[in-house]
Amino acid sequence: MATFEDVLTRFPDLDRIEVERWIAQRWVRPDPADGDGWVFEEIDIARVRLIRDLRRTCEVPPDVLPMMLSLLDQLYETRGRLDAVLRALVDQPETVREVVRKALS
Amino acid sequence: MDDPYVTLGVARTATTDEIRAAFRKLAKKHHPDLNPGDAAAAERFKAISAAHELLSDPDKRARFDRGEIDATGAEKPPEQPFYRDFAQGGGRRYASAGGQPIDPEDLDELLAAFGARPRADGRDMHYALTVSFLDAAKGAQRRLTLPDGSTLDVTIPPGLEDGQVLRLRGKGTPARDAKGKPGDALIEVQVAPHPFFRREGKNIELDLPVTLKEAILGGKVTVPTIDGPVVMTLPANATGKRIRLKGRGIGGGDQYVVPKPVMPDADEPELAALLADWTPRHGRNPREGMS
Repeated sequence: MATFEDVLTRFPDLDRIEVERWIAQRWVRPDPADGDGWVFEEIDIARVRLIRDLRRTCEVPPDVLPMMLSLLDQLYETRGRLDAVLRALVDQPETVREVVRKALS
Repeated sequence: MDDPYVTLGVARTATTDEIRAAFRKLAKKHHPDLNPGDAAAAERFKAISAAHELLSDPDKRARFDRGEIDATGAEKPPEQPFYRDFAQGGGRRYASAGGQPIDPEDLDELLAAFGARPRADGRDMHYALTVSFLDAAKGAQRRLTLPDGSTLDVTIPPGLEDGQVLRLRGKGTPARDAKGKPGDALIEVQVAPHPFFRREGKNIELDLPVTLKEAILGGKVTVPTIDGPVVMTLPANATGKRIRLKGRGIGGGDQYVVPKPVMPDADEPELAALLADWTPRHGRNPREGMS
């Protein structure tokens, strides 16, 4: 859990207005804090870092960024689902796993 | 830690811009959040970030070059975590899939358990290398010194393109058991620009400075090519033309020479006297398109 100020301290190369814009565009979605401001969880901070890396290091243009984030979100969602399927399979009896293994090979 | 020059694949003489460009190119490729299934991507990204961090700071770079600090001297305090460490499982805000937060490596282990991916194989290793324009055009042998001190002999094929990836089979990490194959070494080669040759596929383009006299009268001029200088007959009034030197490009391509007239360096009173009495036959105003 971190405040907006904590996040700005962690990323000295980002300025307030830029991060506020990311939040307004819903690229980063921290919870609203009591009263004023936001509460950032670790995933939100990691997301800030991702967007910073994409913009600064990878020079992704701002108009392309939403598309990239959307594709990345879909990728991670798909990986999450695949993980759930695989975990379910791991718990099955060996006969079932063998059938699946054959089908995959 | 690795030699930062090897990590970024740049020469020790590389300019700040070249270092920056090499870093950007590698970062785009190896950012862990763009490679969630590749556990080694985070290590590669950290290594190229640290190398860039060191080499982009002129003071640190000079101290490293003088041997006053080693490559670890520039490593940053603990990095922020990557997005992928959260996104797949616990990313309730950004995706709808549920489940427990898991390590991205787990999925690959699970896939391996189901035979979808052979687990016995060694890993592919990624390296970067910058070669000169002429080496890329004509082919060359290069020796890459790896972080562990071993070396890798790399054959640069003639006509190699900027950004091309060379795969050295079996030169990655060894197989994990008898059933597996060793990984490959993947070397991304960047081609440094040449001071006067440019490349268009297999053809070479060259701007050739010529004197005013040569530009108007033509004559024999010596022209550099990738295989050494050749003598060429410059036709009269060749300015604005592209003159082809057949077979002087890369692998059967041609070289194109574009003459660029250069004005005399000092006063030429005879030429000035000549021009004073001269009425051009084709007196187009060169600034006509500007109004």
